[in-house]
Amino acid sequence: MTTQVASPRTSDAPATRRLDNGLVLYAAEARHAPVVSLWVWYHVGGRNEVPGTTGMSHFLEHMLFKGTPAHPKGDLDRLLARYGALWNAFTSEDVTCYFETVPVERYPVALELEADRMRNALISSEEVEAERTVIVSEREGYENDPSFLLGEELQAIAFGRHPYGQGVIGSKEEIRLMTREGLFAHYRRFYAPSNAYVVLVGDDEAEALLDRAATAFGPLEEGEAAPLVRAPEPAQHGERRTVVRRAGGAVPLVQLAFKSVRATDPTVPALQALAVALAGASGGAQEAASGRSSRLYRALVATGLATEVEAGAGLNKDPFLFTIEATLRPDGDHSAVEARILDELERIAHEPMPAEEFARVRKQLLAANAFPSDTVTGRSFRLGQLLSAGAAASIGEWYARLAAVTADDVRSAAAATFDERSRNVGWFVPLS
Amino acid sequence: MSVAARAFELQRGAVGRLRVAVAPVAGLRSVVALLALEAGQWSEPEGRAGIARLTAQSLLRGTTTRDAASWAAALDDLGAAARMDVGGHIAVVSGQCLAPDLPAYLRLVAEAVLRPALQPGEVETVRAETRAALEEESRNTRGVADRVWRELAYPPLHPFRARPLGDPEVVRGATVDELRAFHGREILGRGGVLVLAGGIAPADALAAAEEAFSSWPGGPATAPRAVPLATIATAQRRAEVVPDKTQSDVILGWLGLPRTDPRFVPARVTNMVFAADTFASRAGKVVRDELGLAYYFFSTIAATRGQGPWVVRMGVNPRNVDRALQTTLAELRVVLDGGFPQVDLELAQDKLVGELRIALESPAGIAQMVLEAELFELGLDHYERYAEQLRSVTRDQVIETARAFLLADRYALAIAGPPLEA
Repeated sequence: MTTQVASPRTSDAPATRRLDNGLVLYAAEARHAPVVSLWVWYHVGGRNEVPGTTGMSHFLEHMLFKGTPAHPKGDLDRLLARYGALWNAFTSEDVTCYFETVPVERYPVALELEADRMRNALISSEEVEAERTVIVSEREGYENDPSFLLGEELQAIAFGRHPYGQGVIGSKEEIRLMTREGLFAHYRRFYAPSNAYVVLVGDDEAEALLDRAATAFGPLEEGEAAPLVRAPEPAQHGERRTVVRRAGGAVPLVQLAFKSVRATDPTVPALQALAVALAGASGGAQEAASGRSSRLYRALVATGLATEVEAGAGLNKDPFLFTIEATLRPDGDHSAVEARILDELERIAHEPMPAEEFARVRKQLLAANAFPSDTVTGRSFRLGQLLSAGAAASIGEWYARLAAVTADDVRSAAAATFDERSRNVGWFVPLS
Repeated sequence: MSVAARAFELQRGAVGRLRVAVAPVAGLRSVVALLALEAGQWSEPEGRAGIARLTAQSLLRGTTTRDAASWAAALDDLGAAARMDVGGHIAVVSGQCLAPDLPAYLRLVAEAVLRPALQPGEVETVRAETRAALEEESRNTRGVADRVWRELAYPPLHPFRARPLGDPEVVRGATVDELRAFHGREILGRGGVLVLAGGIAPADALAAAEEAFSSWPGGPATAPRAVPLATIATAQRRAEVVPDKTQSDVILGWLGLPRTDPRFVPARVTNMVFAADTFASRAGKVVRDELGLAYYFFSTIAATRGQGPWVVRMGVNPRNVDRALQTTLAELRVVLDGGFPQVDLELAQDKLVGELRIALESPAGIAQMVLEAELFELGLDHYERYAEQLRSVTRDQVIETARAFLLADRYALAIAGPPLEA
């Protein structure tokens, strides 16, 4: 069986430039549509927070849409809406990111807006109060989801010292306690050219994209160096378990989270392949037809023990988690599902993977990485994501690393990861 | 601006009752394939809500020549992503594969759609999963709100009264023979539309489609189901408590209009002026941005052949539900009374036209645009005319459309979540 997937073109390798203020720019051409996708990445997220301020980076992300002296509240929204732009922002454990995909002739405006809010956000007390209820509402929406509730608990028991255990959005109590002064200090500490990078992909020459970005961001002052995160997680020496019992869900869940490695670890591509081998490349919702040849689908869903299963390996700055989630049938048996998952993990860690199966896994892995790169927004995001934690310097390099994974690499990565001592297990038990 | 001016040139073909449209995009490695079957809820027999989805999901569980596991392995051998979704009028097989794999991918999909096994054991698997999904949705605030809203808005036996998941009793009792009959009558017996967008040469793509779907029957299609017009005569409100939740999901809505109705484009603009977007629409700006009452707030108007839902959705703390609703209705009255400035209309039009251009960045965006045009037969020059149609909607048309469809005293309102506070 062949597993040919065309590698990304050499033009996918980004052009780069470091400005005097420390900001690093990356640019690549994508000529199939008259748009540019611009992403600004800040090295700040849940990882940079301490107890009592959890959720501050996320709260701050919301405040960056509330105006600057040059662009009062509403300007940015109105301009981007007029362009029909695709735009948003997100905060993760490691980074905060803002993006706009705009018509090519408008990207200088998007650059100017982003450069402006990098240093000049107002963050007024009135807007902090107005947005606080929106963020509480966001949190309450998540709390309606049993998978979020269990995942939050599981992440908390997995990390005793590292801030990864705190999650990203913070508790409602913490959100209510946040002050304008605290948010502004966080902003000045982390929002600076020296703690950020910009990725542009789109319908212009790479050098022109860099020139435009340099014009927008070049005049900004460097800012102070962001404080380093120094909270290493000690080794885990035994399984940890948690159970969430609530009425707010009808189906039981089982989640497993094994301590894993950081994005720069050489085994990360093999862990990506391992996730595909276990649960496919595109998620396990009932409507999905792909991924049904995966090991956990066959063991759990095809046998009627569960209705959905997913697996994933994070690309994080510090050692993070390899996660598995199974959604059971309403009358499902947590113990049986957990035992079956562990059996499959044992097998994949200790038995050679047949060549036919590995060829299938490899094809899914490479294709799933190719698909998002066929959109300008997806290509720009993917490049920025790989850069964020040092997984790769380009999409092409990442592809090459994925393509080089062998069946034995997958088995070795499984053996190294699926250790009982680094295992965290969560059950969601619905109450009637 | 002509939407298609730069990104794609459309080529069309037909195989039996299947219409095919190909939009090549130079430089891409993959192809997005949308196969729309006219076998959604509208095609379900009266009182048999859920048959369409059960049938559609069962198509992907083995064929007459290979069992479910072999078909799934063949799909994964291609690295293709594929899923089946059932909606108001259509069931859609959405897929993406690498361009060289398109012929093999289409053969697999054609095998599933034209020659499914509909084997009893696999149907039982689909039934069990569907029942689990119904159970899960019974404690999911969004799912409950959607169910309640449909029950308020549509009369008994209307195809949109139930969610696509269906009626639990129908799901429990549906027989394999019933699904086979539905497949023969509503899938083989009707037309479909296949849209291919991405890194392909049109001639090759059309040849691949022709080879894969050559056995699709031709001739006259099954007559469409006749559905009487529905109306919402008064303001209807129902709140259902979903235990142990912190947020209420709210749906405020009306009955929409067919995509083929000439008033649909003005309705899309009206929707944007009113509530479609959190930042570009009047109600969204006030409820989220000014008052901070909701994290998510948006409205949608369904493009179907009938009176699809035209709904505002929001996630709100229970103590803020009434304020958010009153604010939304107050903004609706501004639209109804013509009290909105011209700049609101221009912003809505700019956004809708701009989004057409942004959609060109992805093969999925192009494919969705083409699918709507092909499915509703909007004309060969649709792509040239559509932006201008949006631009030419007048302020009077917005007011007139709102007065025809978005009545401030005749709506269906569903709330699901914690007990509402006084």
